Amino acid sequence: MESVVQRNCLECLQRHERLFCDLPAEALQDFNALKSLAVYPRGSTLFREGHPVRGIFVLCEGRARLSVCSESGRSLTVRTAGPGEVLGLSAALSDSPHEMTAQLLDNAQVAMVKRKDLFRFLHLHREACLQVVNLLSQDLHVAYDRVRAVGLGHSRRTRTPRVH
Amino acid sequence: MLSPYGLDIIESCLTCKTRTERLFCDLPAAALQTFESIKYATAYPKGAVLFVEGQAPRGIFVLCKGRVKMSICATDGKTLIVKIAEPGEVLGLSASVSGKPYELTAETIDPCQVNFVKREDFLRFLKEHSDACFKVAEQLSEKYNTACHEVRSLGLSHSAGEKLAKLLLEWSSKNGEAAKQEPRLRLALTHEEIAQMIGTSRETVTRLFADLKKRQIVQSKGSTLVIRNKGALKLIASNN
Repeated sequence: MESVVQRNCLECLQRHERLFCDLPAEALQDFNALKSLAVYPRGSTLFREGHPVRGIFVLCEGRARLSVCSESGRSLTVRTAGPGEVLGLSAALSDSPHEMTAQLLDNAQVAMVKRKDLFRFLHLHREACLQVVNLLSQDLHVAYDRVRAVGLGHSRRTRTPRVH
Repeated sequence: MLSPYGLDIIESCLTCKTRTERLFCDLPAAALQTFESIKYATAYPKGAVLFVEGQAPRGIFVLCKGRVKMSICATDGKTLIVKIAEPGEVLGLSASVSGKPYELTAETIDPCQVNFVKREDFLRFLKEHSDACFKVAEQLSEKYNTACHEVRSLGLSHSAGEKLAKLLLEWSSKNGEAAKQEPRLRLALTHEEIAQMIGTSRETVTRLFADLKKRQIVQSKGSTLVIRNKGALKLIASNN
């Protein structure tokens, strides 16, 4: 697997286009030192619904399917996450088990930050904390749109017919 | 101060006794002082609409007292209650942060005290106080978890009976009732509102309750519902 994304966040050319990654120099330097980078093959599971949280996963490259599952094993896709998105954020911040399963749809490069390191990082860097608030707000908009689509049969934005 | 709606209004956040128990309100002194200077304490009667889905965000509403129904609506008028907000919750948060229209409609179901903060004041407050920013992130995370739970419940439950059983079990797990053999819960919502929580009709909810009572799985005592057979209710909830 070959990755086009830099291993060093400071040298990443895509970082300015990405909401979370576009951090001030000092915060970026700290984040770079905290993260552990890994390359995963397509089909890998980053985390499973109901499992305890280890940390957050920043998708540097590749896409992931985020889904919820019933007791009987039926699965429902909540959304597809793309490069630059941060996965496992809400579970990490609320210290609750993962509310979804994240499975990679492509070969992917992922930066992982442990929960306790993330907390320290966010307390130290106000800008990063604001980015996280922005990210969570966007995630919440998407989740409510999904509630609307599943519960009322259509999306407010697109008014498309129910697909499930 | 006694308000027209029979509420004991908490005039100042600095002297609020319940503040330390609440996720957002338990702020450090400096942040609390700033928050106190930008908030407007208001009281609303039951049935008041704080904001409407699709409306441009004016600001956030911190619920001090009372409960608020958070719902989404289809163009044909069909309503889905996403959650019932409790005291301590911040409403209109994601819309105020992102600048996108309110995603939900917020309507009081009790007389409520609400602290309103204008969007621009709130955004400035978050920039200046990282502790508050962190608390907002925690609140948003909880709201996100609730939304995911709602997607799971609505999208993966087979029947209205399964959804109702799940809802009753969820309610009965609060207020220290979870461990009890026969947990009790106060049914504070009408059948119509329960129907809107599980995406079904009022008639179906009434029929399901009648069936649960007939099978002696639940028993009504005024507005209190006693779960007589938790095992049977769990079986219905797991679609077995």
